Amino acid sequence: MENISKNSNWQRFSLRDWLWTLIVITGTVVAWLIYKDNMDIYEEVILFSIALPTIWLGWYWKSFQTHAYSVAVISLLSIWFYQLNGNIYQANEEVFLLKYLISSQAAIMWMSFLVLLGTVTYFFGLFKQSDFVYKVSTFITWTAATLGFAGLMVRWYESYLISSDYGHIPVSTLYEVFILFIFMTILMYLYYEQKFKTRAMGGFVMLVMSASVLFVLWYVFDRQSHEIQPLIPALQSWWMKIHVPANFVGYGGFSIASMVGVAMLIRLSLEKRRPQSRLLTSLPSLRIMDDIMYRSIAIGFAFFTVATVLGAMWAAEAWGGYWSWDPKETWALIVWLNYAAWLHIRMTKGWHGAPMAWWAVVGLFITTFAFLGVNIFLSGLHSYGEL
Amino acid sequence: MSENKNMSKPTHRKTPTIWLEFLGSMNLAITLLVMLSIASVIGTVLQQNQVIQDYIIKFGPFWHEVYSGLNLYDVYGAAWFMLVLLFLLVTTGVCVTRNTPVFIKDMKQFSEKLSLNALKHQPNHSSFTLDNSIDNVKQHAIESLKQDSFRHRVHQKEDGSVTVAGLKGHWNRLGYFFSHVSIIIICIGALMDSNLYLKYHEWTGSLVPETRNVTLNDVDPKAWLSADNYSYRGNVNITEGNSADVLFLPYGDGYLVQQLPFRIEVTDFRLDYYDNGMPKSYESDILLYADDLDEPLVKTIEVNHPLYYKNYAIYQSSYADGGSKINFNVHALASPHISSSVVESAVNKNESLTTPVGQFRIEFTDFKLYNIVPRDEEEAELTGRKMQNNGPSVLFKVRNEQGTAWEYENFMIPTKQEDRWFYMSGVRTSVADPFRYLFIPADTNRSRDRFFRFLALVNNPQELETILANMAPKPEDMTESTYQTQLRLFSQLITLYRQTGFDGIARFVETNVPQDQQEQVLGFYYDQLASALQMLYLHILDEEGVIKDDAGNITEAHQIWFEDALTSIASLHRYGPPLYFELTNFEQIQSTGLQITKSPGKDVVYFGSALLIIGVFFMFYVRQRRVWIHLKAVGDKTEVTIAAKDNKKLPETEDEFEKFVTQFKA
Ligand code: HEM
Repeated sequence: MENISKNSNWQRFSLRDWLWTLIVITGTVVAWLIYKDNMDIYEEVILFSIALPTIWLGWYWKSFQTHAYSVAVISLLSIWFYQLNGNIYQANEEVFLLKYLISSQAAIMWMSFLVLLGTVTYFFGLFKQSDFVYKVSTFITWTAATLGFAGLMVRWYESYLISSDYGHIPVSTLYEVFILFIFMTILMYLYYEQKFKTRAMGGFVMLVMSASVLFVLWYVFDRQSHEIQPLIPALQSWWMKIHVPANFVGYGGFSIASMVGVAMLIRLSLEKRRPQSRLLTSLPSLRIMDDIMYRSIAIGFAFFTVATVLGAMWAAEAWGGYWSWDPKETWALIVWLNYAAWLHIRMTKGWHGAPMAWWAVVGLFITTFAFLGVNIFLSGLHSYGEL
Repeated sequence: MSENKNMSKPTHRKTPTIWLEFLGSMNLAITLLVMLSIASVIGTVLQQNQVIQDYIIKFGPFWHEVYSGLNLYDVYGAAWFMLVLLFLLVTTGVCVTRNTPVFIKDMKQFSEKLSLNALKHQPNHSSFTLDNSIDNVKQHAIESLKQDSFRHRVHQKEDGSVTVAGLKGHWNRLGYFFSHVSIIIICIGALMDSNLYLKYHEWTGSLVPETRNVTLNDVDPKAWLSADNYSYRGNVNITEGNSADVLFLPYGDGYLVQQLPFRIEVTDFRLDYYDNGMPKSYESDILLYADDLDEPLVKTIEVNHPLYYKNYAIYQSSYADGGSKINFNVHALASPHISSSVVESAVNKNESLTTPVGQFRIEFTDFKLYNIVPRDEEEAELTGRKMQNNGPSVLFKVRNEQGTAWEYENFMIPTKQEDRWFYMSGVRTSVADPFRYLFIPADTNRSRDRFFRFLALVNNPQELETILANMAPKPEDMTESTYQTQLRLFSQLITLYRQTGFDGIARFVETNVPQDQQEQVLGFYYDQLASALQMLYLHILDEEGVIKDDAGNITEAHQIWFEDALTSIASLHRYGPPLYFELTNFEQIQSTGLQITKSPGKDVVYFGSALLIIGVFFMFYVRQRRVWIHLKAVGDKTEVTIAAKDNKKLPETEDEFEKFVTQFKA
């Protein structure tokens, strides 16, 4: 019925996109060939069905290709160095490159540093209105996300080095999901940065990332939380591989929205009190901020919906019931209802500006409680990563 | 939203309309969403379904009344919570039924008949003149719309002008329908699995939960549920080698017994550990017998891998001791002779024990085959393993005739501490306290024999006096009476030490000796005690044949054993009744905790969830867009007006419109 003219669409395809497609497919098949003995049918399905959205994401957002290549190169290099050095976990203490740069722990420490640095430079760029500083910030932030992602990939490999029955995807402890949260949120932010051609939000969004990094550092140095632990029986499930990342797209979207909310409130208050302020010219227009806020809540809400449904299905298989009013489940529902209400108000009452910005900021507190507070203050079936 | 504005402008307001409007209103919907959130917060912050006494202590009687009146201790089962859910269902239902027809119309409508004036009032519009004939431009318009994946409809007006109307993304509206209907579907599924049915029967009095802890046969018949109950979720513990065909459903402050239409037999339960001591897997081998099965189903279930049978699911959910058989040697710690008796029992059994020091009741509560604990850093470094296995242990309570109870945790094999081997036995008088451990040093044969021999001697004043007299003959220059006083002092100090430990001697000195001499006397007593005990120890070693020629020269290891034994005996007066339970033998029997569910609402919920996800993505990521291209011939030229409308105003809408216009002109 819809006569899509192929030519116009295909023209947007450069050689680069074809190469990307080819590499993702090859990578998937090679990974499958190497690891198929360790995978059950669900994991094979997940592996292949992740390839399609990945290809699509690369087409849709070209910069993602570069990012993915860098992650792959760093991870493979690190794995290669492990293999050169006896393929033992202890190599991360002995081999210079691993110890200081690309073992998972080293990469994550670099990520932490770069996140903190990026936050400072973004704000510096904002006050100086310097394009150069801004560009440097963007580069630092991309590098941070790349190292974080690669760090987790390497950690995945390392977990198998420690002991073959320890091996698992690193999304099971609070430490691991924090890294996941940090680099996913950064990526989402970078997408909006490109799309809306404004780097002024960078410092604000990176504030949440910096807070997370500080938490992770405390958690590492005070609690040795980075040590790789095997999986308890309840977590030994392929559901974890999709449930957890989906959740973090949600959390990421909500955090970006809240920080854009903060920027918006600052702008509104400046407009009222100091209309001559130079900062006003650096901050994006209300309309753009409103739009980023809406989009990030929308994508957060959509993925949070998916994650909650997946969680319910997993719960049905692991605990025997799809809904048990477990604190983590309940708080996920609270977060979800909160943003559903936000979306409705915006849609049908047409609220904009300060009230919605405040609401988004409050939303971050609710989200943080669901993410962290539940683990600290409430006990339940979701008792992994307790503090 | 224009639709909603239309909705709220009815011409006649009848009562039912007002009601419907209230029920379908966004304000009500948002209020309900917020109420649900707040209720959920309460449910997680206030611990649910605890013992009433705990609540009274925590909140005081006044607030306890308020909270329990509001049913806050079981929020998710409270009637008002159900009411909020029900209202949400109704609101969403009303909202969907009212909006859907409007939306469907909107989905199908191309609005191709809009007047030129109306087009010029659209959010985006642009007018220009092209040098081509109207027919050519019309063709071009259709092509352009197709190229951008619009569906189109052409409307020929009487005045000769033409409107080509384009529409795309009508799935957006479907998204609204899907996502909102799905909420209703999910709630219905959840209601199917809720305990409304049980609540109803409890209300009519035909169902009464059992609150006593009795055997299955004695359970009140009113607490039984028949096999055709249509949704439930319960637990049952089955010991290896046994089977069960009922489930226990926790209900109110008691439980219900659910008859199952099949029988589950457990042949084996296995627990596996990682090398760091964390549990790695729980597995049960089960057989499922049912009338319509010729052969039983055989399956191993584990966490995350349940057995699905018809519309039942059988999960591995917990494990416990299923009555392991355990044998003991019970040593009398206060007896002047080595003496022990044999007790054969099992976990979850009670025994009564008559001894010279009274009548005791022993309750065996648990048996553990492995006790995996972290090693200290040095040990870990040395062995390369962070964890060590302390071997089998039993947990039991000893209760005297007055009702005082001591709880013990005894290990079967010795553990290594700083290069020495000890048999550990933990004791406590309140479950809230941690165990305090008695460390019985193992002898050269890694047994407790020497310890019990030494202890019996310490307990035996007559014999020890004889031995001491033998080993410390009267020196030439000492008078007989001084010598006897010396021997008596030995004996009294040993008795005092046995009964009260080293601190007991210190306390004795504090109360009986003038202050200025206390230090001196205490030092003297300790010296005397030490040399007396050492003599007894040498006697024991001599008996064992350890010391053959040179009595004064014993090895360091033997010396250390002696010090450990003294510490151990000194703490015996805090160990409870003078009995020591040596675990000699066991046969482990485990039981597995199964959870079995029948959940007909599950598929309904899953279907609703799928719709919800699809709907949400359609709503967010499909934009419904309209374009009108109005053409009017002016001579051989054509006057073009292009207008566009998006159902969501986005920053790119304008850019896209301009791009469309530019391309159209080209
Ligand atoms: C738990 C219950 C509900 C959830 C999760 C939910 C979710 C949503 C979401 C995510 C949107 C999309 C907002 C956007 O595109 O920005 C939406 C739109 C909408 N909802 Fe709900 N909703 C719920 C209940 C209701 C109720 C009870 C009503 C009726 C009062 C309602 C009426 C609407 C309307 C009219 C729209 C706008 C649709 C459009 O114009 O595209 N919703 N809803």
